[in-house]
Amino acid sequence: MKALLKLYPRSWRQRYGREMEVLLEQIPGEIGVGLDLVLGAAAAYAMVVRSNRFLRASGAFLHGVCVAVLLQAIAFVTFILFAQRSATSTSVDLGTLRFAAFLRPNFFRLQEQLLVQLSHLDWLPSATILIALAAALALVLVAPRLLRTVR
Amino acid sequence: MRRVSGLVSVLLLSLLAIAIAEACLAALLLLFSFILNLRLGIELGAAGVLGGRSNAHQPDEVMLFNAAIVASVLFTTVCGLAAATLGFRRSRPAR
Repeated sequence: MKALLKLYPRSWRQRYGREMEVLLEQIPGEIGVGLDLVLGAAAAYAMVVRSNRFLRASGAFLHGVCVAVLLQAIAFVTFILFAQRSATSTSVDLGTLRFAAFLRPNFFRLQEQLLVQLSHLDWLPSATILIALAAALALVLVAPRLLRTVR
Repeated sequence: MRRVSGLVSVLLLSLLAIAIAEACLAALLLLFSFILNLRLGIELGAAGVLGGRSNAHQPDEVMLFNAAIVASVLFTTVCGLAAATLGFRRSRPAR
């Protein structure tokens, strides 16, 4: 159980490490204690990150990158959702630049497919993924605020 | 010298973070095309990658071209930098 103390930041171990070792010698080594130690290490690192301006900016950078990835995934699924309802091939263009295209190779088979899609609610998987992504984005956006309130 | 090496480290770590984010995005898109029964084609320079589920009854294909890849990298970088700038300004020490 003492090995878990190595998960803590060095500054924390220098200040409280010895006291914590003595405390851990007195209590039985259970899974709950181990879990507490791991959570405590995460909280200690969060404190270190909050107190350092550059680390905080790095955390914000990673947060922004996560939001960007989720937004792009949402854009991709939305594009598919709209393209699937269209009778022909769909593309996203800006002038001569082509970004994405949804290709339907056979127009005659397409008519059949479209009827089957309408009757079998084929849009449901796309819509479900879209809702899940929107929920994930909302969670990622409110996560910093939630963490601040937990503190 | 120390400051320069620090800046280079920050730059390399940022590039690594963006590369990992783009790889995660590609994996997500591949997963979605698999779930949605589509074939996903990604153009990378002169080459291309094709993935997803191949289905004879529904051979729909989504293609992402070079412009989309470049726009994606730029968008991810700009979002990250904007968030970092905001975070840096908010944590300015009080005078």
